[in-house]
Amino acid sequence: MKKGIFVKLKHLAPSAALLAVGALTLSACGGASATGEDTSGGDSGLQGTITGIGASSQKAAMDAWTADFATANSGVTVNYSPDGSGAGREQFLGGNAQFAGSDAHLDDDEAESAKEVCGPEGAYEFPVYVSPIAVAFNLKGVDSLNLSPETIAKIFKGEITNWNDKAIKADNPDAQLPDLPITAVHRADDSGTTENFAEYLKEAAGDAWDAEVDGNFPKEYGGEAAQGTDGVVQTVSDTEGAIGYADASAVGSLGQAKVKVGDQFVELTPDAASKVVDASTKVEGRGKGDLAFDLARDTTESGAYPIVLVSYHVVCSTYKDQETVDLIKAWEKFVISEEGQQSAAKSAGSAPLSADLRSQIETVIDSITVAG
Amino acid sequence: MLTTSDTTSSRSRSLTSKQLPKATPWVIAVASIVVAAGISFLGLGRFSIAVTAVLAGAINAIAVFAISAAYEGRRKAVDRVATTVVSSAFVLACVPLISLLWLTVSKGGAALDLNLLSRTMLGMKGVLDQQYVAGEAGLAGGFYHAIVGTVLITVAACVISIPIGVLAAIYLVEYAGKNKLGKAITFLVDVMTGIPSIVAGLFAFALFSTIANVLMPEAAGIAKTGFTAAVALSVLMIPIVVRNTEEILRLVPMDLREASYALGVPKWKTIVKIVLPTSVSGILSGVTIAIARVIGETAPIMVTAGFAKNLNWNLFSGWMSTLPTYIYDSQLRPVSPGDAAIASSERAWAAALVLVALVMILNLLARVIAKVLAPKAGR
Repeated sequence: MKKGIFVKLKHLAPSAALLAVGALTLSACGGASATGEDTSGGDSGLQGTITGIGASSQKAAMDAWTADFATANSGVTVNYSPDGSGAGREQFLGGNAQFAGSDAHLDDDEAESAKEVCGPEGAYEFPVYVSPIAVAFNLKGVDSLNLSPETIAKIFKGEITNWNDKAIKADNPDAQLPDLPITAVHRADDSGTTENFAEYLKEAAGDAWDAEVDGNFPKEYGGEAAQGTDGVVQTVSDTEGAIGYADASAVGSLGQAKVKVGDQFVELTPDAASKVVDASTKVEGRGKGDLAFDLARDTTESGAYPIVLVSYHVVCSTYKDQETVDLIKAWEKFVISEEGQQSAAKSAGSAPLSADLRSQIETVIDSITVAG
Repeated sequence: MLTTSDTTSSRSRSLTSKQLPKATPWVIAVASIVVAAGISFLGLGRFSIAVTAVLAGAINAIAVFAISAAYEGRRKAVDRVATTVVSSAFVLACVPLISLLWLTVSKGGAALDLNLLSRTMLGMKGVLDQQYVAGEAGLAGGFYHAIVGTVLITVAACVISIPIGVLAAIYLVEYAGKNKLGKAITFLVDVMTGIPSIVAGLFAFALFSTIANVLMPEAAGIAKTGFTAAVALSVLMIPIVVRNTEEILRLVPMDLREASYALGVPKWKTIVKIVLPTSVSGILSGVTIAIARVIGETAPIMVTAGFAKNLNWNLFSGWMSTLPTYIYDSQLRPVSPGDAAIASSERAWAAALVLVALVMILNLLARVIAKVLAPKAGR
């Protein structure tokens, strides 16, 4: 009986061997990179692995950064798990990641508990990714639309229901506004885009927006709901007279409203989006290396576009060995470098940080040291 | 046997005073589909598969009953309606399966090529996808690393769980009898069958985090490895292997064991030489079912092995990707958001096709092995 099994196994052996050979051939060819080319061009001498966990909003930018960083430093692997901002901060504070990506800066409790993992200076955090949110509309014959925060709030609240409303006309004296009902499109799912949009309206539109700021769009305001960024863009594109908010990188050829800041109407440009960070004030009571900002949504700074999502990197002020310090410094410096920011802008549609802010951040990164 | 069926058929033949031709149900089915399509087209102004299918089912059942009742009588008509309903249910059950396969093959097949199979996501960025969508370059990126990860993690999970599972089943069937330990194990296995896969993932991650924290408190995030994922999958696999093996071992006739004992063969030798060889093909099918169940797991892998972009052959260090996590990540968080997200989606479909093919190959392989190893009947 046993002999029988072995004889039978012998019959199987050739096919198994063939499979194994096939697998090995597959592994032998192919550069094992995204383009099939050998990317291990630049060897900077750095070796190791960096692990980050955090916001999924940064994922596309992170892909660009890790790709370019790996090209210049072939010995380094950067892992990023887009588990969400909250998960990122938690894992970072638990010592499971060297850095965190987060759409919100650490709150005071978290900043305090960071001292346990990072030493007496606590954590350093700085903005790395600014993503403008566009108010996109679909109106035949109207290319340019001026909207004040109050008007935007009332449109999404369902109080202004027609494009020829007095409030819209007042801001757009030259435009040919049709007699057409407004379809306000919002995100059906919980999202950072909705949260930032609501936060902007809450601060800039005064009493017009009275709902709690939350990742879910307030149900009582009505309007059309669409799933995901793509869903919102699709619905707005398909519906004449629709207006919606979405990540600027995704709106494509739709019209984008200019938003009233101070007494000007500001067009969405990368420069205008990063300007709002420059116009914001730092969160008080934090260490010198902490570049957490209270975003000035109601800024009157000329030329700043205030509907943005700002995402941070959180790193430790001290790490336990020189190797990690070198890795983190090289990595974070690349992320905020002109090259890194431009690469993210091309791949993810983000707004590059201003030169002034970048030099501030660089000082912070330079002050990361070995615990001792 | 022969005589009975002979008499039945001859008796039924004698009773066929009036019977519809054999092809009638098929003709009625085709006719009702045509009528349903016509109604859907007239009513909705366009052709809708869902409406047509529902209408066709209903019209078919009514028509079969009406025609059969008028020609063959009520008894036959009811029988025919029952046949129709059962067949319709079968067709209905096939619809999602075929539609899923079709979608995967058509969408994945369009994108799948050797480049995707031999490349990884190392150095992948949105610009490359934008160039692809603009028609300036070919589709970059691939999932070679995910295929390797899937195979390594699954093999490691098998290495852990098959010995444990099979030995536990042998204990339950051959040794435990009706003692308390056996009952406790059976109960625990039943409970384990029902635990959600994410819980298994969290368990493995928590276990290895704790171990890593004790052994190497300096290193951050070293608990996420392919091996941790394999342990998580083992937690899901073991109960299935135990359950299936147990069923198969109980099917081995008691006579075989008793014959062996009568010849003075010790118990362990009886199990190794008689019980296991007799049931080996069944055990292997059980193992294959278990593998097919865990190879498509997404949630526990995300928690335990992260999302790697590079090729990693080492189960014990560094993150790994598997095909399910690759599909999830590509579809949900494209490399380039906006218009070029379609490129990520294409890679995801191709990966889905490879995953389905992988599971199918495994199943076929198990069939072949089971057939080769099965003891010859009637020896």
